[in-house]
Amino acid sequence: MEKQVESASSPLTSRRHFLDLVLGASILGWLASIAYPVIRYLKPLPQTGPTGPTHLTRDEAAKLEQNQFVIVPVSGQRVIVLQSQDQLYAFSAKCTHEGCTVTYQPGQSVIWCPCHDGRFDLTGRVVSGPPPQPLVKYTAQRQPDGGIVISVEKA
Amino acid sequence: MRTGFVITGLVLAAVGLAANRGLAETKPTLSSLLTAKDKDGKPIITQEERTYFDGLNENLKGLVNEVVQKQIVTRPEHLGMLLSLELRPQKMELLLKNNCALCHSDSEIQTPEDLFSLSPKTAGTPGHMNLKDLVDDVHFQVGLSCAGCHGGDPTADFGHEFVKQWPEKDRTKKRAWVAEFCARCHSDPALMHQFNAALPTDQLAKFKESPHGQLLLVKHDDRAPTCISCHGVHGIRPAKDPQSKVFAQRVPETCGACHSNAQIMTGFTLPDGSALPTTQLAEFKKSVHGRALLERGDLGAPACNDCHGNHAALPPGVASVSRSCSICHSTNASLFDGSKHKQAFNEHNWAECSKCHGNHAIAKTNDSMLSTKSGSLCGDCHRQFASNHPECIETANYFHDTITQMDKARTTFITASEKLAQRGLDVEPIDNQLNELTDALKKSRTYIHSFSHAPFQQAAAPGQEAAKQTRALVEKARQEYKYRQVGLAVSIAWIGLLMLAVYLKLRQLET
Amino acid sequence: MNTAEKRSGLRGWLDRRYQLSPLLDFLQHKEVPLGSHWMGWYYLGGVTMFFFIVQVVTGVLLLMYYQPGEATAYESIRFLTTKVPFGWLIRSVHSWSAHLMIISLVLHMFSTMMLKAYRPPREITWVSGFFLFALTMGFGFSGYLLPWNKLAYFATTVGTNIVASIPLLGDWLLQVLRGGHDVTINTLYRFFAAHVVILPLAFVAIIGLHILLIQRQGMAPPLGARVAPRGMKFFPSFALRDLLLWLACLMVLAALAVFLPYGPGIPGMDWELGEKADPFAPAYPGIKPEWYFLWEYQLLKEFPPHLFGLEGPQVCLFIIGILFAIWAVIPWLDRRAYQDRSSPAFSDLAWAALLFLTYLTLMGWDIGANGAIEGLAAMQKVARVCAWWTLAAGLVVLVVRSLRYQHRWFVFSGAALLQAALHGVFGVSYLLAGTISLGLAILAIAVLNFTRSSPDERRAN
Repeated sequence: MEKQVESASSPLTSRRHFLDLVLGASILGWLASIAYPVIRYLKPLPQTGPTGPTHLTRDEAAKLEQNQFVIVPVSGQRVIVLQSQDQLYAFSAKCTHEGCTVTYQPGQSVIWCPCHDGRFDLTGRVVSGPPPQPLVKYTAQRQPDGGIVISVEKA
Repeated sequence: MRTGFVITGLVLAAVGLAANRGLAETKPTLSSLLTAKDKDGKPIITQEERTYFDGLNENLKGLVNEVVQKQIVTRPEHLGMLLSLELRPQKMELLLKNNCALCHSDSEIQTPEDLFSLSPKTAGTPGHMNLKDLVDDVHFQVGLSCAGCHGGDPTADFGHEFVKQWPEKDRTKKRAWVAEFCARCHSDPALMHQFNAALPTDQLAKFKESPHGQLLLVKHDDRAPTCISCHGVHGIRPAKDPQSKVFAQRVPETCGACHSNAQIMTGFTLPDGSALPTTQLAEFKKSVHGRALLERGDLGAPACNDCHGNHAALPPGVASVSRSCSICHSTNASLFDGSKHKQAFNEHNWAECSKCHGNHAIAKTNDSMLSTKSGSLCGDCHRQFASNHPECIETANYFHDTITQMDKARTTFITASEKLAQRGLDVEPIDNQLNELTDALKKSRTYIHSFSHAPFQQAAAPGQEAAKQTRALVEKARQEYKYRQVGLAVSIAWIGLLMLAVYLKLRQLET
Repeated sequence: MNTAEKRSGLRGWLDRRYQLSPLLDFLQHKEVPLGSHWMGWYYLGGVTMFFFIVQVVTGVLLLMYYQPGEATAYESIRFLTTKVPFGWLIRSVHSWSAHLMIISLVLHMFSTMMLKAYRPPREITWVSGFFLFALTMGFGFSGYLLPWNKLAYFATTVGTNIVASIPLLGDWLLQVLRGGHDVTINTLYRFFAAHVVILPLAFVAIIGLHILLIQRQGMAPPLGARVAPRGMKFFPSFALRDLLLWLACLMVLAALAVFLPYGPGIPGMDWELGEKADPFAPAYPGIKPEWYFLWEYQLLKEFPPHLFGLEGPQVCLFIIGILFAIWAVIPWLDRRAYQDRSSPAFSDLAWAALLFLTYLTLMGWDIGANGAIEGLAAMQKVARVCAWWTLAAGLVVLVVRSLRYQHRWFVFSGAALLQAALHGVFGVSYLLAGTISLGLAILAIAVLNFTRSSPDERRAN
């Protein structure tokens, strides 16, 4: 595999050079052939789980009645469902600032993030505090049988 | 004078002693029986029998003493045999109060025909005179002992009124009265419900309608079976008891005792005039049902009475066969009823299920039955009887091809899945699809009985889909394996290259 | 100006802060003894360490997905090997490397015995190596349970049961080991902690000592070999050769992981995940511990329930303890090597140990049973077949040793072969055969000692 270098000036150096090149390249290639599986291995798989519209369980509906809000998983995301003046609202519960889970204060009709005092109104818009973006809206519907369904709002 | 008195006194004493001894010899006591020894000096009553006796309660010991006092049991061998049964206290009490059984188990005073022994074969006594069976008998255990059928008074010494009515094993004696006799109790609901509320009480009525009953009671043919032919006479056990002659697993041999015996069955014919066969038992033993019942012990499998009835024992006519099969195979039956075959079979007056599957020799079904080549079931029948319906041949071919394809796919994929699993690949999705394929295959084979394209297609379609999915998954797994091999080759190539470079560097540094 | 400041670049920078020069000088001058002996033996320690490094790397990767717990241990490994990209590879490499590490460790240990590398000043190196051997067994045993499958569950039950036979402490030890009276999920938690933290820490500490000593003392030249005045330079010559060998081992590992992902399929060397552990299901027949424990498992079977007033397993454990204790203090037992004289007795002892273990391991594998493993007749057949194999192997070893290496001392290996022959071929009980062989060996040694008038080096080859 080693080429016979016929350079008249310094055959030894150029051969050594070439060999070092080959050595370096093969080390890199070998490290890549180890790194590739390890990197693929370490990257987590996409979350699986139920997708699509989510029904609130009985416990969750009870909590909603009791506290005026409840945080439920929808397609792997945290969603805050709250009711104010007989109206149902649903937003992403992940604050757009640093990702803390927000809460709802019924008396004040704000969605509040305790981590850095960010506040959102009932349309999801930022009212005060550091959050840069409004909360993503979800659709909450009350079913004829009394159940509540949360689904991703169609644009 | 004095000498005379002494001599008389001695003579009297001698006479008195002899008389005493003689009296003692004629009246054995319990203790003398228990300690009696044989001519070699060994005790006749064994250690185990003695231990059993010692463990009896006072009441039973008293009863034993009584039967010895009354001289019903006079010999240590007889006592030993009774003790060796090692009966539970209740049964022992029943036995000890039953003079009939006690007397009739004494081999010294009974003729072989009248003797109850522990093992009839070796004792030369008839098979139904088994003492062990007697004490297990369900009648005996509820208190209906010998006198209940034979009459007489078991507490008295002697009672033999009914004996003359009971023939020996000679089958030519009149036995038609037996059914009515048993029915005295067994057809009386009020009486039977005192013992077992779940027992039916219509056996006699059914028996009278059956061929067995007709043969016995109308035609007065004494070859016909009576109650005791199937249930036994002295060792009658409930049908759920595995030792009972009418326990599910033993029913075939009980029926076969007559029905497989060509001598007994001579002269009987089928409705069409041909001789009644005697091959049913042999065929049943080889059949799916027979092997399930007799070899695997599956009590859900049918015995003779599940299809033919037990007391009613009707031979299946055309209509009743499909009804008895449909008890278990309901889906197949309802599909068949909705199919074209039903009308066709009825027109030809063919038995529905058994025309294709047989009746006693029902073998495991085979996909080749479906084909239309000569020698196959569907093909031959249709060519002979339905040659004016060529579309049926096409349907049969369709059935056959679909099923054999699915079956072949299944076996191929199972092998492939095992191989892939060995190679370390994830075969769970493949196995899930294979389960669906297996289910669809089973359903398709059932839906053949609709004999129609559309319902079968509905059953087979998920299977074909599953087969397709499985093929895709197997292919995917094979690709993954190839990918691994390629990856290995690449990494080996790089490692090899690196090794070569290191080696050359080494050479370079050392020269 | 000191030489450190003269160096330029990164090396100079580090040197000026950490004074690397002495270390670098040492490394540049480190040598591996060259001579009439085969260099190959010196690689085995490094190969063992290579496999250990592979274990640590793959172990850390496995730790990212493995979750100990009743509902998660088995499931997480199933998830790992089926759904995670290259998860099958990481697990397979981890399992293979474990077995290969043990094999190379045993070879390394035996080579040390042959070369008498344990003679002064290297006694501590030997003892630390002994502890490394024990820790590796512990790694194998604790790691085996972690998949929480049927095989692991029962192997662990059988394996930990032995502990109960230790007098006085047995019951306490059993409960501490198992986290209870039986093997439960608590056992898994303890074994996990041991496998992932306790044993690695201990191992790293002791291997640090082991390697430190080797650096301090240099690699041992073998006894009796003619040593060249200059050895092979460690850097770069030996190191690059070592690297070459490690790369070859890596290649072998990769190929094994792809083509034999669940092991070679030998009982005791088969890690197909199988079914989840179920304490209420009966153990399946033919269950065996891992192959490196088979000899102890078989030895335990050879003891009667009671012996000398003690329980059989207790006596067996005692004897195993004595054997290990002897093995640990070999540097002090070998008086001749201590005086730098050739010690054929101890080379032979190493071979004897190998044959002894071979015979027991073969029997533990039921070689020759052809299916039937129940009953005295089957066991005798197994013993006979294994004895013939062991004797055949022993004969080959004997021939090679006497012809190629001119060894003459065969008392210990002869005793081991005699025991195999007496037990397998002549049907003598294993313990009786062992006692006879040992007795004869001691007799032979006594006779040899008394007939030898003067310490004669040339005769004692």
